[in-house]
Amino acid sequence: MSMLIKHIVRFLFFILIQVFVLNQVELGFGVQLMVYPLFIFLLPVELSIFPLLALSFLLGISIDSMSNTYGLHTSALLTFAYARPFIFKLFAPRDGYDTLLRPNIFEMGRKWFFKTFGLLLVIHHFWFFLLEMFKLNELLFVLQKVAISIPASFLVCILLQYLFVTKSSDK
Amino acid sequence: MRNFLTFIRRFRVLLFFALLQGFALSIYFTFVHFPRAQYLTTASIVSGSILEVRNDLTKHFNLSENNTNLQKENIALMDRLPFSFVQVNNGLVKIEDTTYQQQYEYIPATLINSTHDKRNNYFTLNIGSKQGVVRGMGVFSGKGVVGVIHNSSDHYSVVKSCLTESINVDVMIEKTGQFGLLKWNGKDARRGTMWGVSNDVELKKWAAVVTRGGGGIFPRGIPVGKIEKATEIEGKPLWDITLKFSENYTSLQRVYVVKNILLEEQKKLESLTLNEHGL
Repeated sequence: MSMLIKHIVRFLFFILIQVFVLNQVELGFGVQLMVYPLFIFLLPVELSIFPLLALSFLLGISIDSMSNTYGLHTSALLTFAYARPFIFKLFAPRDGYDTLLRPNIFEMGRKWFFKTFGLLLVIHHFWFFLLEMFKLNELLFVLQKVAISIPASFLVCILLQYLFVTKSSDK
Repeated sequence: MRNFLTFIRRFRVLLFFALLQGFALSIYFTFVHFPRAQYLTTASIVSGSILEVRNDLTKHFNLSENNTNLQKENIALMDRLPFSFVQVNNGLVKIEDTTYQQQYEYIPATLINSTHDKRNNYFTLNIGSKQGVVRGMGVFSGKGVVGVIHNSSDHYSVVKSCLTESINVDVMIEKTGQFGLLKWNGKDARRGTMWGVSNDVELKKWAAVVTRGGGGIFPRGIPVGKIEKATEIEGKPLWDITLKFSENYTSLQRVYVVKNILLEEQKKLESLTLNEHGL
């Protein structure tokens, strides 16, 4: 039960921080900070794909409706959620995932987190910017935006975990 | 039938994903091109009122700059009031005349949400159709053109800003009258491009570019920017003109929505002419 409340609070927190803080931060050079995929990433590993997709649709549409992006975030987040099980399987530990461990940077280790979350974030960002431009002749600009937005988003995601995840996990 | 069911069972994840993805993509493409409803935009009452609370908290960040701008605007207006003029012709009687009729009305508004680094940027205003805002009206500030109303709900409206790809405002070079369309390349919030000026025209650097007032959306002569750079496009007899916007969209707060009283008349006349030619 407490898990459920924790995830609901986290859901609201990610909407608020994305819409009211990170969407307003403009670093220039096309850098765009997007941390809401972290919410989908932090959900339990054994959660099936259907609630995962439903939750990412809900989260995406809430963020879209508050930032005038009309389904752009939703589409990218759905792709992220769809790819999550595949990537998790790809980088699974030798004897499978321990159901007691949560998929965050502390319990699964730094190396694992960098690989899985990094790859998923690349998929998410690439999908997002490609759809936003929707022009193949601006592919270079898309790649530039992806290449500089990913490190920035990744750093904020790590920071968020150090700030909030530790406290909730050591109970 | 059984095969069909096994097919569905086998690909149920992919089908569910495709369903949701299709929904998201269809909203994205319909909203960008033909906005019908405002439920999923910041014009909806829920998002609108949340953004208004946030704006109440953050609007003071640019307060001094905005105040200076308002003051400058006031001075410019005061210069045009009767008390700033010296009476030259004594002894003439002033009578009310009907030579001038008002064509444009302006509705003041405040920007409560905006982005500047996306490919297409939309701004949210705190007024809506209750205050007479409808799709297609122009929006400008004291310093320059801001955009065109994209859709509106009862109390809020969303502006398609000059920082979108296909804003296509009718603009012209003030001195020479060459006209073209305003576009934005998605890279720099301080610079836009002007499209459609033939390259046999000589351009002056820092020549002012203003609205042309062709579509009845903006009055003629609202500043847009200044010509910063012009390069020739290969294979086309056109200039690629880079403009420096006169308005800084990143700190914009107070804007005016243009209401064209004579728009209906203009549209009626134009459609009449088109009908005559069977178009």
